[in-house]
Amino acid sequence: MSYSKEDLRDLYDGSLPWHKTFEIMSKPKDDDRFDKYIEILQERVSYKERILMPLGDHLNVVQKGGERIVKCDCGHEFGDWRQNWKLNALIFVRDDTEKLEEIYPGLKCPDPNLCEVREFYCPVCASLLKVEAVPVGYPAVFDVLPDIDSFYREWLGRPLPEEQEFRDTTYDVTGEWGRDIE
Amino acid sequence: MSESKGIGEGGKSIKQIMTENERLYRETGCYAGIIEPNLLKEDPVKGELFHSRIMASLIAGRETTRMVSGSPFVREVAELCLGIYTPEGDNIAQSTGIQIHIKLMGDNIRWMINKNYEEEVGINDGDFFIANEPVISGMHAADVYDILPIFWEGELIGWVSTVIMEMDIGAVSPGLMPTANVERGTDGLKFCCERIGSNDKLNRDFEHKIEICLDMSDIFLLDRKGAIAANIRVREEIKRIIGEFGLDYYKRATRELIEEERRNQIVRIRQRMVPGRYRGVVPAEFPMADQPVSWIPAKRDTIRLIPIQMDVLPAGGLVLDFEGIGEWGWHPFNGTPQAVWGGVSIVTVQTLAYDGRGNLGSLLPIEVKEPPIDSLFNPSQIKKLATSTPWAPLLDVFGMWTHLLGIAFYLRGFREETFNYRSSAGWQMAGYDQMGNKRPLLAAGTGYFGPGACGVCDGVDCGGWLATPEVDMGSAEVWELFVPQMELSHRFEPYSVGYGRFRSGLAVPTVVMIHRSQQLVGSGALGTASDGIIPNLGQFGGYPGGRRNNLLLRYDNLPELMEKRQPLLHEVGHPVDLKDRFPGQVFDVGLIPVPTEIYEGDLLLSVSTAAGGLGDPIERDPAWITADMDNGLTTEWQANNIYCVKTRYDEEEKRWKVDEVATRELREVKRKERLSRGVPVKEWWQRYRQRVMDRDMDDKILEMYQSSMRLSEAFTREFKDFWALPDDFNL
Repeated sequence: MSYSKEDLRDLYDGSLPWHKTFEIMSKPKDDDRFDKYIEILQERVSYKERILMPLGDHLNVVQKGGERIVKCDCGHEFGDWRQNWKLNALIFVRDDTEKLEEIYPGLKCPDPNLCEVREFYCPVCASLLKVEAVPVGYPAVFDVLPDIDSFYREWLGRPLPEEQEFRDTTYDVTGEWGRDIE
Repeated sequence: MSESKGIGEGGKSIKQIMTENERLYRETGCYAGIIEPNLLKEDPVKGELFHSRIMASLIAGRETTRMVSGSPFVREVAELCLGIYTPEGDNIAQSTGIQIHIKLMGDNIRWMINKNYEEEVGINDGDFFIANEPVISGMHAADVYDILPIFWEGELIGWVSTVIMEMDIGAVSPGLMPTANVERGTDGLKFCCERIGSNDKLNRDFEHKIEICLDMSDIFLLDRKGAIAANIRVREEIKRIIGEFGLDYYKRATRELIEEERRNQIVRIRQRMVPGRYRGVVPAEFPMADQPVSWIPAKRDTIRLIPIQMDVLPAGGLVLDFEGIGEWGWHPFNGTPQAVWGGVSIVTVQTLAYDGRGNLGSLLPIEVKEPPIDSLFNPSQIKKLATSTPWAPLLDVFGMWTHLLGIAFYLRGFREETFNYRSSAGWQMAGYDQMGNKRPLLAAGTGYFGPGACGVCDGVDCGGWLATPEVDMGSAEVWELFVPQMELSHRFEPYSVGYGRFRSGLAVPTVVMIHRSQQLVGSGALGTASDGIIPNLGQFGGYPGGRRNNLLLRYDNLPELMEKRQPLLHEVGHPVDLKDRFPGQVFDVGLIPVPTEIYEGDLLLSVSTAAGGLGDPIERDPAWITADMDNGLTTEWQANNIYCVKTRYDEEEKRWKVDEVATRELREVKRKERLSRGVPVKEWWQRYRQRVMDRDMDDKILEMYQSSMRLSEAFTREFKDFWALPDDFNL
């Protein structure tokens, strides 16, 4: 089972005719999907570094020299893949009725005493990368930390050179920020 | 200790067989110790035929129930499901329907085995058992299980069980799944795997009891007869299958079906996902302060955090962990570890194991870490509590799990599998129907929900309801026969959407007018615990849908309007000015409407909102927006303000068109606005940290964090690490 890159490209763009989309949804999954996916994403970015793992619309983990970093399609770099990329984004917080009602007017408006809607933007291309609706005070959610080395080594059978420890380093950064304040 | 011969294989007791199979699984990692599942593979056509025959019997059984039952929950919405089980209660196959109960029904069977029913109660050919006690295993009392043992020549070779959601279980008003109840006695009738029939005949004393105890005894008893008919039909078909395939083949093949599915599930996980850690959080709101309950300590509003972490293991398994979950409370929304498995079951059959082969094997590669004792999902006081509605927070949690699974599919490139679910809440009533009978009154509308955007297209309008894969609201005309109301419209609500490059599906609000009831009390029916805090279901740059609403609208001059044949309210319209537009009073009654008397001509609105859009809304194709506007699914305000698309209506062609130049400009302005409004996260973090240090937040939010911190050192540590708080700081 395999699909052409053209069909997959159109699938991701939402422009594949419905009968083909439905076929891809319904049939057994294609084994070469990940490799073609990466090729399609690689063709669409402005940089040359190898994409190792997509993280969302516009965001990928890439290999840059000996480092692995999160990078936006536009080229902006968000730092080491093991720390929450949101720490290096721009943030706009909808935390009062006026700002919330720009998106959620009237009856649809969350309670600003309890809830805030955080928007994370790329500081260069201003893409909206993530919308986070959380209780007031909740830490920025680290939505996904992929175990890249296990994936390549154990699931694809193609280990990556220079494997890196799989651990969340977000709090190393916030700890440093805390020391800056003190 | 009795020396009587056991009813299981070779004269063993069922408990012995269960214990032995559990040991084999522990030692080999394979279900029932089946290291080499060869029987089905030896003759695949025979194996397929065998499975198809079982499935056909279950689906035919389900349809049988629908023909016998008088309940619109069964006939219209098909809130039922059948499963077939091994002698020790392991699910082999399940029909379509509310598959949330597949493991829970098996857990009831295992409870009977563990309680030594075989010797102390008796398990005989032709017995009917009934259960609906969440303390044993279940979602809430309204879901009733009818369980039938299957014997072959004196040996117990399996069980068949049917679940039906009842219209009346005898609970405190509003009587089906009440919300203003706290103590277990208010839940209504509870059955703890009780025998209610023998020799294929329902006990007459049981019928007498139901006739006296339930307002809708006729519906309840017809449901039992429907379920029993289905169970007997399946049992007889299983006997025919055994006659045809042989008993040895049946025993081995049914167990291989479970082991084969366990292996397939691991293959699916490894094929479609990426190993790693996926995180979400669900806040659950329980507004009980104003509820008329007599257990006074319950009268407080609380919020509980339910963090959810999914670890996709390199070996191919999944682990779900709720570390950081808050404490239980005096309300009917507490869950149990078994109920959590209900959520796992229903999500699994809709996201990974949707090929009709789902069974216990689909669940074996999944580990659910037991929620801490005295948490919302594991109260030690569970026997004291009402458990009418634990699925309100549970559906939110499992909507979030679909979101996390969606991220994993997206990372692997299977974006067509990416989406998420959201649940909702609505009105529920008790009182007199059009025929003058007092009873619970709830009209279901499972098709009203909008699921999240898919990774390759918009979400299906009105197409997502986590609790059952089959989304069908039933016929309005039938519901009108059962509930004294007239449905005024079924219209897509543009403001229900979650915005994004791909938008979520839209929801359809319920808009009904009360008609011909002498006395009614309205209250809430909860399928969500989200109110002021909207769910974190935005996918990448997409927004989650906004707040959902319960509204009571009361006309000032309804008879006059009708006399003059003036239009009544048919849709919510723009959510800002409803109060100005409506000629009467508008009451926004919140997540749980405090029980209140409602009258002829009142309008009840349940306005669901959708899960999450996917991707940046200003990247949405403008042509899709005008197409939506032509169909009444997007408004000009949304096109302009959310999607930044300038449109105009072409009066001649009668359709909306895009002004491409103005759209480019509008989108450029939006990007510049983002750059000027946005601040570096570090800057925000520094300010926000001080706010956390000052405990500058609503008391309910503070108490929510304190509750989680009382139960979890790990949660406390992470919270402090993120905000770089001193070790001795206490929130």
